[in-house]
Amino acid sequence: MSVTPSRVPVTVLTGFLGSGKTTLLNRILSEKHGKRIAVIENEFGEVGVDSELVIGAEEELFETNNGCICCTVRGDLIRILGQLMKRRDRFDYILIETTGMADPGPVAQTFFLDDELKNQFQLDAIVTMVDARHFEQHIDELNEPAEQVAFADLVLLNKTDLVDDAALARIESRIRGINGTARIHRTKNADVPIDQVLNVGAFDLNRALAVDEAFLEPEYPFEWGGVYQLGAGDHLLKTAGEHGHHSHDHEHHEHAHDHDHDHERGGHDGHAHEDLDLVLLPVASASGAALNDAIESAVRAFSEPATVVICHGALEEVPAHYAIELSHPGADFRLKITKPGAYALFCEHHPAEFGLHLHGVQPAAERRFASHHHEDDISSIGITDPRPLDPTKLNQWLDYLLKTRGQDIFRMKGVLNIVNEDRRQVFHGVHMMFDAQAERPWGQAQRVNRLVFIGRGLDRAELEAGFESAVAKP
Amino acid sequence: MAGKQSLSFALEPRGVLSFDDYVVDCAWSPDGAQLALAGGEGKVGLVSVTDTLALCSIGEHLLGTLAIAWQPRAQCFATSGQDGAVALWDAAAAAQVRRWKPGVAATQALAWSPGGDMLAAAAGKVVSLWSASGEKLHAFAPADSTAVALAFDKPGTDIGVALNGEIAVHRVEKSRYETRRYKWPAPSLTVNFSGNGRFLASGMADGTLHFWNRSTGKDSQMRGYEGRVQLVGWSDNSRYLASSAGNDVVLWDFSGRGPEGTRPIVLSGHTDRIDSFHWQPGGEHFLTGGRDWRLSLWRPAKAKQPIDVQMVDAEISAVRWSQDGKRVAVGDKQGRLTVFDLVAR
Repeated sequence: MSVTPSRVPVTVLTGFLGSGKTTLLNRILSEKHGKRIAVIENEFGEVGVDSELVIGAEEELFETNNGCICCTVRGDLIRILGQLMKRRDRFDYILIETTGMADPGPVAQTFFLDDELKNQFQLDAIVTMVDARHFEQHIDELNEPAEQVAFADLVLLNKTDLVDDAALARIESRIRGINGTARIHRTKNADVPIDQVLNVGAFDLNRALAVDEAFLEPEYPFEWGGVYQLGAGDHLLKTAGEHGHHSHDHEHHEHAHDHDHDHERGGHDGHAHEDLDLVLLPVASASGAALNDAIESAVRAFSEPATVVICHGALEEVPAHYAIELSHPGADFRLKITKPGAYALFCEHHPAEFGLHLHGVQPAAERRFASHHHEDDISSIGITDPRPLDPTKLNQWLDYLLKTRGQDIFRMKGVLNIVNEDRRQVFHGVHMMFDAQAERPWGQAQRVNRLVFIGRGLDRAELEAGFESAVAKP
Repeated sequence: MAGKQSLSFALEPRGVLSFDDYVVDCAWSPDGAQLALAGGEGKVGLVSVTDTLALCSIGEHLLGTLAIAWQPRAQCFATSGQDGAVALWDAAAAAQVRRWKPGVAATQALAWSPGGDMLAAAAGKVVSLWSASGEKLHAFAPADSTAVALAFDKPGTDIGVALNGEIAVHRVEKSRYETRRYKWPAPSLTVNFSGNGRFLASGMADGTLHFWNRSTGKDSQMRGYEGRVQLVGWSDNSRYLASSAGNDVVLWDFSGRGPEGTRPIVLSGHTDRIDSFHWQPGGEHFLTGGRDWRLSLWRPAKAKQPIDVQMVDAEISAVRWSQDGKRVAVGDKQGRLTVFDLVAR
């Protein structure tokens, strides 16, 4: 009898103070996109747009009555959303801005609270603005920036004009380490096409995991690979910057290693070393296909001990695993090629983080690989496994997981292959509150479970053991 | 079979008109000859109710009207809106008398004292008291959260304020402004004093209903709701406390030892959410209006089924009895007002 109108999409905009949220809001509101957008901003918001659609909110948190301390939602939002729905000339879109220090969890969880809200609103995406200039400083000092990145479906890496390419690559790598599934968009002055920010559909169960394919690939010990056509002779492998300045741009970028050096975090003694692991392999041709064919050999080579090469040193053997010392900007190394041909280079980190390049030669093909390198205690873990799951055991595992780790798991999403079920089971959650439904049939597609967890202190072995416990016994 | 056959009642449509705005709420004049309407997009309307209905659009609140309240024993009503303003309207002249902003935030709720001499307004975190002509009498210290509902108790000595995590009850008698706090860690959505003065009830956003014994301060919690308990109301004789968080009405019976440990009466019949209900003033009838376009008349002391059901042409957003309990105003989300008479059959 009653007509159910389509749900109003909602974007949650989060980001640290000064990251550019207000600039983005102003852009969205002033652009001619034909949408009626209501903005719910925090009480002390800065939006100065002369718009009748801006409503103040007050971060009135409350815990739902289910005994879970992470199930906190926003009472003020519920009230304001209810009032917005009393307009027949309904809004096409709702944007919710959070304060710089706010945890986006309660805002997002509000939309999972009850059927009333679920039927009227569709959480579209959590968009996190990151200030490229201050991100590295903030993330080392505070919890909030990493958490805001962890919740994100889309990260707008803003103010990219204020930092160099190496810093951008570093920041992107760090963001990927925290949140392996978010899309990252580089912007200047929050200038991004509106259709890239609104109607993203990140929480749309019908589109679940569409953006997660790359993340769900197996993890590799390298983040980048490229193929080059190289002539015989010496080639110069060089990082950005001038040799001799010894200004330690990268000291904080520490990582564990199998041959131990003293990695001093932020050391300013002029001797803080940093290594970059790389593998060099001959390949059949300078093509993307040949690069892909070399992946397995590269993984094997990475598991072998590395030969350390200091600045001005030579990489003489191919194939081989090297650890080049990047003790200062402008460090250079000689790559000795005796046999001309196609070679693949695989790097532990993206070479752009260091401005690393082969002088005068461009890669004929290159590829990024799923980030595996977790500097922060917040990270993403993906599980891909084709074996069908037992729904009862699955519920027991997820129940236990959320009861014990719900507070640490910021986002959880997945497509599940349930035994004796023709359709994909899809779920999407924020902390312990989630939405699940049976989606389109598997049909001819390969039946496979794909799960993603983003959280603090995640333990892959624990998650895999839990998954194992839910596998249906034949 | 002559003699003791009880009368049965039903609803008979008197008229319908288009208000052309989502009916947020409506308020009857004391004589039942007029109805004031509050619109979700901001309209304020005045309807004369005779053999036919006639609407006069008399003003607006930019961005939406949030509350409407008719002054007891007077030809005046008040409205408040998302624009933060409170407006006083002269119903005889169909004109605005005064308009002011009690604070910077939207004015969520209004309540007249039972004597009609004082108007309370909740603007953001501040509740303020105003004379019938709009002079400021007092402003209470700002609360920690937005005040979302207001109600005076029957003698008009206390005013209850629904807040996030508590209900504050301010004493307003003889200019004493002491405050008593009834705490519960969830947003309180309603504030409802029983007519006999013994209880204070509140529906909560965490899906519970609370009532406090006002003399002992004892808090009783009722659970089992489908969601936020947005509708709460005492029957005129204080026997029943009605509540709803979905398609059903849950009635707690306060006769005898009270409802604690008992099973409530559940009024089922709506097939979609109930968005408004109202107890008959001076009687025992009860009205519910739902998203299933259904207006149901109940007599809970006698039956768990509705004694009459009327269909309107849209989701019902507001049902209000006239103060004599003989007429019913029904507002819907498509902007229509329908008036029914309660008739014996």
